[in-house]
Amino acid sequence: MDNLDNIFASPSRRDVLRWGLTCGAACALAGTRFARAQQDNAGTPELAGLKLPGVARHEAMFWEKTSDGGIKCLLCPRGCEVTDDERGYCGVRENQGGRYQTLVYGTLCSANVDPIEKKPLFHYQPGSQAFSIATAGCNMECKFCQNWQISQYRPEQVESVVTEPRRLVEACQARKCPTIAYTYSEPVVFYEYVHDTAALGREHGLGSVMISNGYIQEKPLRQLCRHLTGVKIDFKAFTDKFYQEMCAGQLKPVLSTLETLKDIGIWFELVMLVVPTLNDSPDEMKQMCDWIAKHLGPDVPLHLTRFHPTYRVTNLPQTPVQTLERCRQIALDAGLHYVYAGNVPMHPGENTYCHGCKNELIRRIGYEVASNQIRDGKCPKCGTTIPGVWSQEQALAFKPREKPAAPASTQPR
Amino acid sequence: MIFPPSANRRQFLTRVGALAAGAALPWSRLLAAEDEAGPRRPRVVIARDEVLTRGQLDEHRELLEKLLNAAMQKLTGAADAATAWRQLFKPTERVGIKVNTLGLSTQPPVADAIVAGLRLAGVPAEKIVIWDRFDTELEKAGFKLNKSASGVQCRGTDTKKIGGGYQEQVESNGQIGSCFSKILAEEIDAVISVPVLKDHRMAGVTLGMKNFYGAIHNPNKYHGDNCDPYIVDVVSHGFIQKKWRLTICDGIRGQWEGGPGVKPGFQWPFAGLFLGTDFVATDAVGADILEQQRKEKGMKPLAEDGRPPKYIATAAARGLGEADLAKIERVEV
Repeated sequence: MDNLDNIFASPSRRDVLRWGLTCGAACALAGTRFARAQQDNAGTPELAGLKLPGVARHEAMFWEKTSDGGIKCLLCPRGCEVTDDERGYCGVRENQGGRYQTLVYGTLCSANVDPIEKKPLFHYQPGSQAFSIATAGCNMECKFCQNWQISQYRPEQVESVVTEPRRLVEACQARKCPTIAYTYSEPVVFYEYVHDTAALGREHGLGSVMISNGYIQEKPLRQLCRHLTGVKIDFKAFTDKFYQEMCAGQLKPVLSTLETLKDIGIWFELVMLVVPTLNDSPDEMKQMCDWIAKHLGPDVPLHLTRFHPTYRVTNLPQTPVQTLERCRQIALDAGLHYVYAGNVPMHPGENTYCHGCKNELIRRIGYEVASNQIRDGKCPKCGTTIPGVWSQEQALAFKPREKPAAPASTQPR
Repeated sequence: MIFPPSANRRQFLTRVGALAAGAALPWSRLLAAEDEAGPRRPRVVIARDEVLTRGQLDEHRELLEKLLNAAMQKLTGAADAATAWRQLFKPTERVGIKVNTLGLSTQPPVADAIVAGLRLAGVPAEKIVIWDRFDTELEKAGFKLNKSASGVQCRGTDTKKIGGGYQEQVESNGQIGSCFSKILAEEIDAVISVPVLKDHRMAGVTLGMKNFYGAIHNPNKYHGDNCDPYIVDVVSHGFIQKKWRLTICDGIRGQWEGGPGVKPGFQWPFAGLFLGTDFVATDAVGADILEQQRKEKGMKPLAEDGRPPKYIATAAARGLGEADLAKIERVEV
């Protein structure tokens, strides 16, 4: 077995997940893209290589030694303190004799060519393709995780193909994808690979988008955004209780990440998986949308997506469409301009409407872009500028606003 | 707690099975209830001999077996070693020896001495498996892998297809949600936990109970709050509760600080093993031994160091065993 095609040779449940990542939602679609998606996602032979038990060691970034000889990870807000031979919460960063190592540098356990709409990014080169990859591991544990069979596993427990950044860039170019998407599990935990690949990709005319939970410290986020061209953040809920009890995380660091992204100026969109009874209350939805409008502005797209029972939440029904519609209306009433209903193919809430004249701009059928009326980033009817990234040139032209250096007198010694 | 109970039919049956097994097979209480005068205190037997620390342990295999068998007799009250082992293991059973090969490792001669004891009980070699998480860690610790059909098996959960060594079904118990090793869940009838007497940066100590973090696919998720109550949530799952017969701790070398990694500067020759069928009591005694050693070395108690092994009290509060040292019979041979 020496390429990702062959990983699917005798499908296990995990294999089915991989297929599901690729084809599951596409199967819900009608339309011309379906046949193309199947063909594209039948495998990625460009990445043929040695199958390993998922571990490829590489010096980690963002850590420091502790006074007692351990290591403190400075990548995500957890700040794990890790002793010899142990790993952080993510399961993919390990203290080896006082050096901190990532174990997933290029150990790709999933690789597919997806429509960018699948991320979902609706205002980022609609209708384009993203070469989408993942490694094992995550720095949260969402009890409703749709991809838990890779995100909640350790690198030794998933089949992987080691792929150096250059090889991934070449594979992406061979497929004529303008974008690499770091997705499916949690890119923050394979930070070093994202960092290096995104930088190399940019040199070769490729954009990079990170599909993340936003659980990352400010310094590594700012450094990474020098190489990224877009971000999608999973906004789990608007209460710390939900983050703690359902995701083993905290709300505040995610809010900080969102404000940092706003400050940096990179294009980003938000997704909230609406889980019945757990994060769908009208009050919470209103508070969240008010916060978004105030702190991020009304132009940040918000995707409200439908939950399906999985992993450790199997006793709740899928989200009623009416609930999504109610939440969407609350968001629109709060002043957000672009609010979408997700995982409900054919729903009008999948489409993009001009916030100026309400003209339908992009019609979608699932991940298929059936029509796109936007011209030069504007509504053809009223001329309103539509926020987003509408071309590769625009994507690659992005440069982050750097944080002003602290005055000399306040800099730490 | 906003997370709703989500037990499916299988999990429900597993838990019911565990409860039933707990009622029918209280191994820890079986031995403790022998005295006619009333329930006997749970017993933890310590067997030491300084000779074990001289040279290589390999040179002292005979002594190690002798010590272990003597301890087993003391634990069970049996007149001879074979009878002692037979009180806990049947010849028809498949027995797993869960060693700990992360950092300071269980030493292979200790596992071999346990195998010899099981053979005395009539358990065929082919029905015994020495196991841990990874082949690589077992080999690094000096174990010789054996995946053939003959002899004592020795292999990691990862031996099968990558990832295939864990059950696909996630098991929820308390706050944990994990896939268990198929070796534990499907291949064996009884398990012996064989940890090392060592310190742990997060849990305070890592002994018989925490050893079972090596039986789940995602132990990295459960190190917060001194691993409490996660350790208890793991070991109270039916897969472990109904199969766990014995803890035998390798204390030939102990490590009182800097664990679980190997820190020679913090090691001392405890020169023995200790064992018991009450897993909580055995861990409580192990934690006490480590605390005493820390005190002797002028170190802060674990609680003052921010890492009390509070999972032991949690386990006792859940009725899994005895954590009160005053109520534990500590016997030396």
